[in-house]
Amino acid sequence: MALQDMERDMAGCSRCSSCKWIPHNQVKSWRFAQGCPSSTRYSFHAYSGSGKMIMGLSMLQSRSELNDDVAGIIYNCQLCGSCQVSCQVYRDDIDLSDVLLELRAKCVEDGFLILEHMEMLQSMKKEDNPLGMLKADRGRWAEGLGLPEIGGRQVEVLFHAGCRYSYDEDLRGTVRGTVSLLRDAGIDIGVAGKDEACCGGRAYELGYQGEMRNFADDMAGRVKASGARTLVTACSDCYYTFMYLYPKNGLDLGVEVLHITELVGRMIEEGRIEPAGEVPMRVTYHDPCHLGRRGESYKEGWSGGDKLLRPVRFKQSGRLGVFDPPRDIIRALPGIELVEMERIREYSWCCGAGGGVLEAFPEFASWTAGDRLEEAAATGAEALVTACPWCVRVFRDAVTERGMEMKIYDVMELLASSLGGA
Amino acid sequence: MITDAAYRELQETLGAENVSREPAVLDGYTWQPFTDILGLPDSWCRYRPAAVVLPGSTEEVQEVVRICGRHGLQFKAMSTGWGAWNAMGGENTVQIDLKRMNRILEIDEKNMYAVVEPCAVCSQLQAEAMKKGLNCHIIGAGCGSSPLASATSLCGYGWSGLTTSYSARNVLGVEWVLPDGEVLRIGTPGQDAGWFNGDGPGPSLRGAMRGFMGACGGLGVFTRCAVKLFPWPGPEEPQVEGLLNDVTAEVPDTHAMFLIAFPDLQRWADAAYSVADAEIGYMMCKNAIGALVATMMPRGLKELTRFAVFKDILKTLRYQFQFLVCARTPREFAYQKAVLREIVEECEGICLDVSKLPGLHDAFWWGFVRAAMPPLIFRMGGTFGTSYGALEGFDHPAYQSQEGARLKSQYTETGRLMDDLADNSWGGIYEGSTGFGHQEELYVYDPRDSAQLEAAEDYLAGTLVDTAAKKLGPGLGFAGGAIVAEIFGPLIGDYHEWLRKIKGAFDPDNVSDPAFYVSPDPEKLIAEEMANRPGMAQSLLSVMGEEDTP
Ligand code: SF4
Ligand code: SF4
Repeated sequence: MALQDMERDMAGCSRCSSCKWIPHNQVKSWRFAQGCPSSTRYSFHAYSGSGKMIMGLSMLQSRSELNDDVAGIIYNCQLCGSCQVSCQVYRDDIDLSDVLLELRAKCVEDGFLILEHMEMLQSMKKEDNPLGMLKADRGRWAEGLGLPEIGGRQVEVLFHAGCRYSYDEDLRGTVRGTVSLLRDAGIDIGVAGKDEACCGGRAYELGYQGEMRNFADDMAGRVKASGARTLVTACSDCYYTFMYLYPKNGLDLGVEVLHITELVGRMIEEGRIEPAGEVPMRVTYHDPCHLGRRGESYKEGWSGGDKLLRPVRFKQSGRLGVFDPPRDIIRALPGIELVEMERIREYSWCCGAGGGVLEAFPEFASWTAGDRLEEAAATGAEALVTACPWCVRVFRDAVTERGMEMKIYDVMELLASSLGGA
Repeated sequence: MITDAAYRELQETLGAENVSREPAVLDGYTWQPFTDILGLPDSWCRYRPAAVVLPGSTEEVQEVVRICGRHGLQFKAMSTGWGAWNAMGGENTVQIDLKRMNRILEIDEKNMYAVVEPCAVCSQLQAEAMKKGLNCHIIGAGCGSSPLASATSLCGYGWSGLTTSYSARNVLGVEWVLPDGEVLRIGTPGQDAGWFNGDGPGPSLRGAMRGFMGACGGLGVFTRCAVKLFPWPGPEEPQVEGLLNDVTAEVPDTHAMFLIAFPDLQRWADAAYSVADAEIGYMMCKNAIGALVATMMPRGLKELTRFAVFKDILKTLRYQFQFLVCARTPREFAYQKAVLREIVEECEGICLDVSKLPGLHDAFWWGFVRAAMPPLIFRMGGTFGTSYGALEGFDHPAYQSQEGARLKSQYTETGRLMDDLADNSWGGIYEGSTGFGHQEELYVYDPRDSAQLEAAEDYLAGTLVDTAAKKLGPGLGFAGGAIVAEIFGPLIGDYHEWLRKIKGAFDPDNVSDPAFYVSPDPEKLIAEEMANRPGMAQSLLSVMGEEDTP
């Protein structure tokens, strides 16, 4: 796949601007109607999903050239997928998110690189994580838990913590609590320890598409070595990589992939986990983009050229992402009250961290998070709960920056607290 | 081209981050749907803006306009900027993108109006208005469009037109940055008397400001305006799940959707007149069966239209309306339904209660009230165009529907345009018992297919010729640019000459791009049209009786 393979998609844009908004049928107020952080923040049409496609077409047809400014617009985007959802409400023949990925690949191919992203890549190549941390420290988050590691005995479930949860000391408690409660509930769970590595999805999203394959092969190797039949991750970015990017690129891990909220939600339903402790809180839930709309599994099987003829079942509409399991977990906690924001599920507003924005354009990431925090505050919630370490990170930092009262939790933290673990 | 000096001035005025002349960014304003009206080979409009600017206030708009004037540049303002009529008319034009001016400044519940900036869109305004038991007019472009642009600068009806009429009837007080940079407040804001009236106390210039069709960016920039709000007999915060065709909603017991169909066009039009006289219904609109099927199951329609028998079956429903009753009380609900049934019976039609069709009713109810459906028309072919659509006494639109179907079937039957049953007229009756309304003939094609685009252009030229030859009235072909005023003007009281006088009085230096309004220099315009799109120009000139004029 390359940018030129998406020419019909780009040329199909009718410039209706639906991609700037949440689907209009769901607009409930003036304040929270916008869907695209990039276009809302920077206003020129070029920043919207449509604008980026038009720029792509313009370059492809040699009407304009890629340069640092244009690359800057392409990368000031969280790849959150809101534009794709809103576009596909109306269109069957445009895969906007794929165009955005190919635009980045073109930037890399043509040498228009973002310094911070190069550093991430460097770190991924050298230390198997994009955070500039040491590979040797990867497994430290699980120290003392006594979990089986691959290379030792075979396990039923392999837990993939992901880079952010592995290294962010502020957040580590979440995954420690999570694997502990799974083990206590009788799940035969293991980890890759210091051998765990990045899933590689971040490299693909930054435009270094070829780099993902090595990480994917390693991932497949670890899964195989663990003997697991199920791969579970607590990171929504990794989940998206496993569910969408790998299969899109012909990579098959050969196991069931679950987000932690899917596994735990299932266990609560089966009565294998019974939250008993009161969590007396009014909370709202933020759908991570890469777990929600972008977490929808890749729909294989369509190879026709004219997407006007493509049956609807092959569309990545975003509606089949993971939306209910985290909410089910929250609702299972005694004493908690869940209130919804206006922009939820597949038309959720992004946290701001994705697509390399947190690293390269932190002010934009924080602005985006701030908009979401205002929406959360408007519900009267005292806490915003989510299910992704990147979201937790950017929200916590934005709360601190703004001196807000809002508490930020991963849903697994609340569950652990109900179970008496935290 | 914009000089460095002019560009620098714009940057100094607005901040560098709000000005761009990056070609790829400018192309975001060059690419538009509906370029068939311009006779172009693809969706790239003829001219790229010289620069694009993002003013954040009326004062900044004034400054931009003055800078353009000083540097010999034209300007063209846009709100949501959807459609080829947003295109630049020449090389040296600055695109004023009003996206940063997006607030709803006031909703006056008691006097039933809202004051909006250019880039607040209808879905936002409707959501806020409904919280106060009110609703707004939404033009046929749908709820992603700007109520200010509709009210001040364009002409259109919408699904709820039976209740909310059309663009021109919805504008009240207006704040207007004139082409020389002065601010003019017309209607009550001109006397600091609030925004509730477009005529007075204060200068009454609505006619000059927008005329019938709107100046489409050719007469300055509208930075604020008040639009009417109407009673909304429904929930203040509608409970809606789903995104479009999958919508489920809590529809009030006193709301219901009907499909009413008639044996022929005459009885269809008679029913519309009777409904308007009886003053019942919230919405009455013809969404042609072909269009409905095309948007719900586009691939299905492509299959069905291969079989004459299916086409015939679908066409039995061609003379129909979707009719929405939104009543406040059960008694009013029963009354409206009874009157509707009586009218349908009198006109020998059938009345299907869609509220009995689970799955569809909610989606139709909210889809039509919110007016979220329009971009669905892109689904079948990639794009569409529209034609005819003069606003007239309703017998006349009925006749236009016939004309549209006749002409278009020559294209659909030969596969040059997509087969939408050649019955894609859309519109309805409004203005109550005056019986005023319109019907547009939509046509569907894939703009990525040059043969289809060419057929669309050919068809559109044909409709203009047909309209002029048969004196069908100024239809939506107005979007084809200033040349259209030159064609239809002589047929309709020389209105183009009046427009030219208004343009001359308000914009003697022609700073505000008049490409879709009226040209101060018709001879130059005709010469340009001849050079740019000779085929279409020849057809149009033949109507004007000037075939030999080069
Ligand atoms: S919603 Fe889709 S078709 Fe409409 S402007 Fe955006 S990208 Fe283009
Ligand atoms: S992916 Fe998100 S930020 Fe990027 S253009 Fe689409 S909606 Fe905007």
